[in-house]
Amino acid sequence: MKWQMKWSRIIAVLRKEVFHILRDPFTLALALALPLILVLVFGLAIEFNIRELRMAVHDGDRTYQSRGLTEVLGSSGYFKLTNEVSPVAAMGALEGERAKAALIIEKNFGKQLGSEQVARAQVLLDGSDNSTVGLILGYLNGVQKIAEHKFLPEVASSNLEIRTKYLFNGELNSRWFTVPGLLAIVIAILSILLTSLTIAREWENGSMELLLSTPIRPLEIVIGKLVPYLVLGLGAATFVYLLARLGFGVPFRGSHFVLIPGVLLFITAYLTQGLLISVITRRQQLAMQLSMMTGLLPSILLSGFIFPIENMPPFFQVFTSILPAKWFIQISRGTFLSGSGFAELATPFLALFVLNGVLIMLATKNFKKDLEP
Amino acid sequence: MVSEPNAVIAVDIRKLTVKFGEFTAVDQVSLSVRKGEIFGFLGANGAGKTTTIRVLCGLLVPTSGHVRVAGYAPEDGLEKIKTRVGYMSQRFTLYDDLTVAENLKFSGSLRGIVGRKLEQRIEELLEFVGFSRATGAFVKDLPGGIKQQVSLAASILHDPEIVFLDEPTSGVTPGARERFWKLIRELAGKGKTVFVTTHYMDEAEHCERIALMKDGKIIALDSPGGLKASTFRTPLLEILPSRKMAEGSWLPQLRAHPAVESIEPYGMRYHLVISDPARLGEVKAQIPPSFEISQTAPSLEDVFIRLVEAGFIK
Ligand SMILES: Nc1ncnc2c1ncn2[C@@H]1O[C@H](COP(=O)(O)OP(=O)(O)O)[C@@H](O)[C@H]1O
Ligand SMILES: [Mg+2]
Repeated sequence: MKWQMKWSRIIAVLRKEVFHILRDPFTLALALALPLILVLVFGLAIEFNIRELRMAVHDGDRTYQSRGLTEVLGSSGYFKLTNEVSPVAAMGALEGERAKAALIIEKNFGKQLGSEQVARAQVLLDGSDNSTVGLILGYLNGVQKIAEHKFLPEVASSNLEIRTKYLFNGELNSRWFTVPGLLAIVIAILSILLTSLTIAREWENGSMELLLSTPIRPLEIVIGKLVPYLVLGLGAATFVYLLARLGFGVPFRGSHFVLIPGVLLFITAYLTQGLLISVITRRQQLAMQLSMMTGLLPSILLSGFIFPIENMPPFFQVFTSILPAKWFIQISRGTFLSGSGFAELATPFLALFVLNGVLIMLATKNFKKDLEP
Repeated sequence: MVSEPNAVIAVDIRKLTVKFGEFTAVDQVSLSVRKGEIFGFLGANGAGKTTTIRVLCGLLVPTSGHVRVAGYAPEDGLEKIKTRVGYMSQRFTLYDDLTVAENLKFSGSLRGIVGRKLEQRIEELLEFVGFSRATGAFVKDLPGGIKQQVSLAASILHDPEIVFLDEPTSGVTPGARERFWKLIRELAGKGKTVFVTTHYMDEAEHCERIALMKDGKIIALDSPGGLKASTFRTPLLEILPSRKMAEGSWLPQLRAHPAVESIEPYGMRYHLVISDPARLGEVKAQIPPSFEISQTAPSLEDVFIRLVEAGFIK
């Protein structure tokens, strides 16, 4: 026998949940302080070794335009330039760790700048050096702007392109990359952990039974309890985003219309996982442990957040595909750093859809079995 | 009872069985409760009282058997039952970090009572349960007895016909228990059916009828007076051993006496059942003269001990 879903009941549960959150120092601290601490810890790592990164330069063009570019780089204060006779010598400096980056300006750079063509300069980075790649990327961004506006005033600003290429570590794994990845970690903590705790608490102190003895429907309980955490997760995600952009100048090259659906899909997946955990465990202690084991740790260790998935044993490369965090990090990094759109990110989006479907199915099935007599 | 018309039956249970896996928690239980009755459910921990109540509140599907609550069977739609009964769980289920008012408003909203009507109802019920503190007080700061009063108010906000109270007085002071039972009688006076479990035998005296449950089965069902009369057809002696002889050979000697059916400890005293009233004098003569002896009326505790713990079969 079905009866109508009532918003008034959902809102009653939601209000109550907001009271719980506001009065629980643990939840509040987790929601507010954690994103800040994480971003500071990972973000500040970028701030070390800030000056005088050695850059090997091969200027194959030797025009005033190419000299203008090297001058901007040199006077930025970030780089210490050394001249190399050939592209091979520049690469050698990089390989021999005498430089952290190499700039190679091709022969026709000046001519292309003068014409309507795209003029390209290539920057090669030591991708295996986590601590500097992100930094160099950020500086290059600034340097390019200065170069365009100040030293090359006569050219249309759009046709200078500084291309970056990573050597030794194809899928770039830098601390820079960890900041967009932090979105995943913060959401994982808030969604899985807090959701599983809040519902397990209701079981643990017996109030779930009382809720169920009223005409409220299980789905209404779930919606009412999850919405505040969805908002909390979105709030924390926005906070991390702003800190990353404003505090650490991480570029955002993609579209927010791609990132936001990704964030929503990811939060839903983890809220559902939290729900599933609480339905299975019904105990806060156990829910917490299970959340750590199935949510938090894999999100940090196996999602590509810290260790590149390519370097994992083949089994793990496949296994990690069941982690929503792996896919979300691809979306986050893709939109932040490469400007990817839906076309490039089709696989992660599709994977998130599938994982959401599976999780929702599992949670509903277990939840129904438990709650609907 | 079966012949009574349905209009006066609040709860009807027929051959109810609940199994958890292989374990049978409730075993072929049948009983019915009249409207406006205070019906007591007695039994040791694990007897199956809570499980039975959970079925009656629509929280558990029975393995077999039929129940009808307030005129509805679970198959008619659980919400029909849920809107007509109030349930106070044996566990304390108010939210500690919410105030009294917030807790009650929450319960009311779940039941679709809102606005001015809800406020009036809360005020009315807090007065009824004798809650005299500030409604802005956090539940965690209230003493146990007061919490139970607020729980009761929360479970009857929607003015249910039947109220299920699962061990409502466990863990509160004797004074608070006394006040709580006054509320139960007032509820029944207003025409509510009260189905209450307890393991305090003295409380069961307040019930019109009592079902005694053991290992999932009802082993006796009658009024308190009826239970006492049927369990004790022969005299019951209460003896208080003198301090010097508290431990002594008199106990096994008495136990071995052919006219003594049983001796059970009862606080500092012993209750002694004589199997043959004619041999009362003979037994009394066996008891050391320094002991206090009196013939006493059996309490429900005696009934319980005899039926449940000692496994007496009529
Ligand atoms: N959900 C359950 N799963 C398994 N066993 C249960 C469950 N609920 C109760 N039991 C068992 O059923 C028996 C009766 O429990 P209960 O009805 O709570 O007894 P009472 O309320 O009389 O103390 C106990 O042995 C208890 O362990
Ligand atoms: Mg019980």
